[in-house]
Amino acid sequence: MPMALIELHNLQKTYRVYQKKEGLRASIKGLFKRTHKDVHAVKGIDLQVEQGEFVAFLGPNGAGKTTTLKLLSGVIHPTSGTASVMGYTPWHRENDYRRRFALVMGQKNQLWWDLPAQESFRLHQQIYGIEPQQFQNTLDELTNLLDLRELLGQPVRELSLGERMKMELTAALLHSPEVLFLDEPTIGLDVVAQHNIQQFLKYYQEKRKITILLTSHYMKDVAALCKRVVIIADGRIQYDGSLSGIIDETTNRKLVTLQFADPLTDQLMNSLKRFGTVVRHEAPRVTLGVTRDDVPAMLTAILDAHDIDDLIVEEPPLEEVIAEVFTRVSESSAVQATEDGNC
Amino acid sequence: MTGYKPSYFNVFLTFARNSLVRDMSFRTNFILQCISTISWTVMNIGFYLIVFQYTDSIGKETGWGRDEFFVFLATTWIINSLVQTFFMPNAQQFSELIRSGNLDFALLKPIDTQFAISFPRVDWAALSNLLMGIILLGYSLFQLTTKPENPLILDWRAILMYPFYIVCGTVIMYSVMIILASTSVWLGRNQTLYNFWFYITNFSRYPMEIYKVGWGMALWVFFTFLVPVLLVVNIPARIMARPLSTMNSQMWQLAGFAIFATLACLFISRRIFVRALKSYRSASS
Repeated sequence: MPMALIELHNLQKTYRVYQKKEGLRASIKGLFKRTHKDVHAVKGIDLQVEQGEFVAFLGPNGAGKTTTLKLLSGVIHPTSGTASVMGYTPWHRENDYRRRFALVMGQKNQLWWDLPAQESFRLHQQIYGIEPQQFQNTLDELTNLLDLRELLGQPVRELSLGERMKMELTAALLHSPEVLFLDEPTIGLDVVAQHNIQQFLKYYQEKRKITILLTSHYMKDVAALCKRVVIIADGRIQYDGSLSGIIDETTNRKLVTLQFADPLTDQLMNSLKRFGTVVRHEAPRVTLGVTRDDVPAMLTAILDAHDIDDLIVEEPPLEEVIAEVFTRVSESSAVQATEDGNC
Repeated sequence: MTGYKPSYFNVFLTFARNSLVRDMSFRTNFILQCISTISWTVMNIGFYLIVFQYTDSIGKETGWGRDEFFVFLATTWIINSLVQTFFMPNAQQFSELIRSGNLDFALLKPIDTQFAISFPRVDWAALSNLLMGIILLGYSLFQLTTKPENPLILDWRAILMYPFYIVCGTVIMYSVMIILASTSVWLGRNQTLYNFWFYITNFSRYPMEIYKVGWGMALWVFFTFLVPVLLVVNIPARIMARPLSTMNSQMWQLAGFAIFATLACLFISRRIFVRALKSYRSASS
């Protein structure tokens, strides 16, 4: 069987951290005797990604998403396990590999702070050995798409966060990477800037057919861009599949919103509670969480008994469903920890 | 795929150019830095001129008279300014990159990581000291070659060896810095770099003869063989300031050892650097 473009097998990363206790006395003790704790950031990840996929990593803070991207970029070494990206082992840091991928981090910037971005771009041209004509073409294309042309000559420190992020993206794409790792590229951006970056990524990925792994806390990014979603929590993969699949797999509720022509009496409200839980109540509208299979029967009953002006049946918001998954994982890992403790 | 391999030289030129653009955009800061550097060197000369009011030479019969010592001083400045222009800001920055986790970007680039962290910043203002060093060197050599009694005759071998040993000295200093900065990976924070630089240059900026009495011998052995910073200035300065014919066999042996020490320092610093990268943890996200 041919290998996938990105393959991870039982990848693990454990950090040893110094346990600092509160207070001066404990700090002084710490000078002589240090206690350490092992933090298992990634506890064994298996994953295959094919060429041209756009995959989102979702997970709570500290779940291991960024650590996984750093392992794939070869920035850090794993504790155990294997990874292969385009046939390379990332942490061997071969120049051939490093020419073919890019990592963009929303929280860190690589452009020279005091210089116009174009100076940093020129540096990239030298480092990646990009031919002048090709460099100019790529730069023109990217600055047009991201609407950056006017800003190239402005020192990076004078750019807005959104503009800076676009510049970071440009810098990362100048050498036309085949694989792109994006670690929260829209963090802290306003809705318009987020949208712009989403549109750009969507267009660029479809046109170039590159492979992208993205981590983000914004469901909108994920919904707009990725067909495949990998939920990482507690250092492990909890779900791998389509976005809509998360809802099918993890919740059997639907949200039913009803707008009544009749006044919403207490009696009516009580009768509604038979069908499900009231999620929102803004007269004349009521939203109920109803078990999927019960929806048809419920609708028939209500439509028979009341005048309804409007009716919406929808999936629960993705954020909520995913939050549910996260909570479940953290609860089960807490239980696991207690059990381990008892052994 | 791109057509050609990167040229390290061109990358370096771009680093240097970007640093210059950056320095120029803070013009006043740049000028103030130059002025303060030059003032420091001028005060330095003033101080030694006072010292030479009381004595004819540094140490009895060591041969380091006023003008010879000024060649020595000029050599110190030249090496210091090379280190401060090209390596000091980068070693400092490297330490900071490790602490902040921004070393990530250097690790992603398809060029040697040690190169990528050793050269990105050039402190052009520190180069003013190089100019002062060259002027002082020229002046003292003129004095030495034109003095009525026993004038120095410039030997072409000395003229060739001098820049060679300047480079060796700079490389030794660079290696020591890289080793120190690399330890930040294990220590989490290492801000002793500037202090260390100050201590070390304090030892290295005098002729080594002065250490060879009593307990100073221990210092001499330590800073010659273990942390060979005494060789950095002493070898090129000795070769230039006084006739090669008067160089004793021990000095020649040390000159040979200096080449070995340069290569050894470079090798060890490379090994430690590579080890450090393996242990790099990439702080935060």
